[in-house]
Amino acid sequence: MGAIMIESIFPSDGDYQLARKLLDAAALRQNAIAANIANAETPGYHRVDVSSSFAAQLKATVENGGGLKTADSLQPSISEDTQARAVRPDGNNVEIEHELLAMNRNAVEYEYLTDVVSYNIKQLKMAIAGTVSS
Amino acid sequence: MNLISGTDITADALSAQKTRLDIVAQNIANAQTTRTPSGGPYQRQIVSFETELLKQTGGSSLETVRVSGITPDPTPGQQVYNPQHPDAGPDGMVTMPNVNLAYEMVDLITASRAYEANLSFAKDARTLAQKTLEIGK
Repeated sequence: MGAIMIESIFPSDGDYQLARKLLDAAALRQNAIAANIANAETPGYHRVDVSSSFAAQLKATVENGGGLKTADSLQPSISEDTQARAVRPDGNNVEIEHELLAMNRNAVEYEYLTDVVSYNIKQLKMAIAGTVSS
Repeated sequence: MNLISGTDITADALSAQKTRLDIVAQNIANAQTTRTPSGGPYQRQIVSFETELLKQTGGSSLETVRVSGITPDPTPGQQVYNPQHPDAGPDGMVTMPNVNLAYEMVDLITASRAYEANLSFAKDARTLAQKTLEIGK
């Protein structure tokens, strides 16, 4: 009950909800990259990533004007990266440089998204307190 | 809840690479060993990796890595003529271990680079976890 009451004061749409969804995806991508780097030398391993259907569904939801808050079913998931090239004879298609770059990129994205979420929460705090919090 | 995501996988990978480094050290150390408890010269050991499914509560499955086995290299060792050697055969030939230092050095560098890559991931994951804790501050 309390959670629902609190939830209703947050913006039901817009960048706050979008950042939340993207933050979920970034956290999951971090896991996928960990698995890829760990298995960089495992024969037959195929690299995984956040499935591209998540981005497509998110885009469709935003474009249709559907509220992201109610779209609880829209969750990122991990699947095999079908775009990756097979680079080695042992069937492993992990490129370590690619993974490290993806990791750095994901970190920047994650930091930006946490900033967006923080900004929204701060604004809310300001509205409640009526003063600018330090 | 796992705040620092991916650390289980990275920990497994670090330990797997460490095992590989240990085996490289063992191979280099025994590059001239002509007598072993099982008889005959030392045989070069090879580490192989395999994936292991990591259970996730989130529904998506991730694969971690583990050492699947440490197997001896069956390649025959080099024969060296050295009749004074205690392990020389009646013809004066000594079978040396099948350790090739060039292979071992390449393995050593690959393993340490892989270790570093995993370690840089661990650092990155820590930064992200810190950022998560700063939400709303």
